[in-house]
Amino acid sequence: MDLAAALDCAPTGERPRFDLAAGALVGGRCADCGGTAWPARAVCHRCGGADVRLGAFSRTGTLVSCTRVMVSRPGLEAPYVLGQVRVDDGPVVFGQILGLDDTEMVPCPVTVRVDAARYWFTPDPGPDRPQDDAGLHAPTDERQN
Amino acid sequence: MAEDVVVAGVGMHPFGRYPDRSLKDLARVAGLRALLDAGIGPRRVRMVYSSNAMAGMLQGQEMVRGQTVLREIGIEGVPVVNVENACAGGSTAFAQAVMAIRSGAADVVLALGFEKMFVADRSRTLDALESAADLDVVAGLGIQFTAVYGLRLRLRLADGSITRRDLAEVSVKSHANGARNPYAQHQVTVTAEQVLESRCIADPLTLLMCSSICDGAAAVVLARSGVLSQPGRPTVRVLASASGSGFTLDPAGGPSGATLCAERAYEQAGVGPGDVNVAEVHDAMAPAELLYSEALGFCPPGDGARFFRSGATALDGRLPINPSGGLASRGHPVGATGLAQLAELTWQLRGEAGERQVRRPRIALAQNSGGWLEGESAAVNVHLLERMEPWI
Ligand SMILES: [Zn+2]
Repeated sequence: MDLAAALDCAPTGERPRFDLAAGALVGGRCADCGGTAWPARAVCHRCGGADVRLGAFSRTGTLVSCTRVMVSRPGLEAPYVLGQVRVDDGPVVFGQILGLDDTEMVPCPVTVRVDAARYWFTPDPGPDRPQDDAGLHAPTDERQN
Repeated sequence: MAEDVVVAGVGMHPFGRYPDRSLKDLARVAGLRALLDAGIGPRRVRMVYSSNAMAGMLQGQEMVRGQTVLREIGIEGVPVVNVENACAGGSTAFAQAVMAIRSGAADVVLALGFEKMFVADRSRTLDALESAADLDVVAGLGIQFTAVYGLRLRLRLADGSITRRDLAEVSVKSHANGARNPYAQHQVTVTAEQVLESRCIADPLTLLMCSSICDGAAAVVLARSGVLSQPGRPTVRVLASASGSGFTLDPAGGPSGATLCAERAYEQAGVGPGDVNVAEVHDAMAPAELLYSEALGFCPPGDGARFFRSGATALDGRLPINPSGGLASRGHPVGATGLAQLAELTWQLRGEAGERQVRRPRIALAQNSGGWLEGESAAVNVHLLERMEPWI
């Protein structure tokens, strides 16, 4: 797709970031090279192409590393746990980890959680682990809107 | 052939807490010391690159920061370019000055960095630091720089290649060096036990491993080779200047921005990491030295702790790292840090580093990184300096 198509990309504020029904992060996947990013960008960081399709990423991932932060920030009471998560079939994202009792367990599998305003991750979901391993939904013909 | 660039003068205002000094006061002392060291007056400066990261948010001086402090030391009328690249702003100013001279646009250029992070309300400083990331993506997550380094180090604690003891011992070494540096913010020695027992900031980092809020300034005069005569003093030449910016992490992994930037610097200089005799690396948290030893090629990947334990990076080691004390001990006034590294290496190459002088270095490396783009530094600069004359 022509780079000029990115001129008509939806404004960043109008691009969805979460799929509440699917409980997943919504980002961009390049139809040309498969590069993924969250949140979606107008132009692919890997190949420079503009055929970036919106879609939900997998609800599962791997918590690669984490840290327990002991300094509070506005709206965030310490301690809180931050982690680096490799979303299955998706990008690397950073976010809060809830319910991780033992940080020595890392690396470990995690589940993506979203609500209307934010996202976080929970470790070792056990029987509740979602079966959705499909990764990003198949690209549609629809461009970002 | 690009013009040869030399470091003609360096100067610093000591790093620390200076509530009664303004940005102009800090910049004045560093700037004048660099001019005096170069043996020139303010009218000889043809161009300035000025680095400051936080005066917009902390002092309200959002624009023309360089011009406002430079008028205090008689530098007016010449082109002043204001540079901001988070913690890498100082080395970015230096890199731009090198380019200006190589291009022939100017023959004597000042790179000046100054920062005042101590303000009445500490949360404003933390807010300013957090803005060194893409706030559209990470605002509200609570990603502080300590956490960024904590995440990187936890990865290595998990695979066993670095121990908590290593993290503490690096901080002991940094403090020992900083204690010998009259420009350092924390001129105290500490023990590994004190480091491990100090307050946890972001696991596995404790207070004594981390750089703290700091005021300070540093300046470097760069000149085209041969235009300023400096008889009787060793000449320090810029062997390489490489810059880069952050990128989206590949889930499959790949080299860090620091590695890619260092590789370009080595290629430019025609030297390898084994030729480096002394280095200043961006250890905003002292244990980062272990990671950067690997990233910069001083030791094989995964061997950072082993390299450190061998004593190689101590003042009397094979490749002393952060003889100044590094960011965690010398101090880290964001916009000035990169230039403080280059000032330190210049003193080391000339043999003027006093009690912290390393043994007869010829080639020095400075690595300065800034900001954060979800896993990778937003900006990075690697410089190689060379002492031209042999040691006697
Ligand atoms: Zn692509």
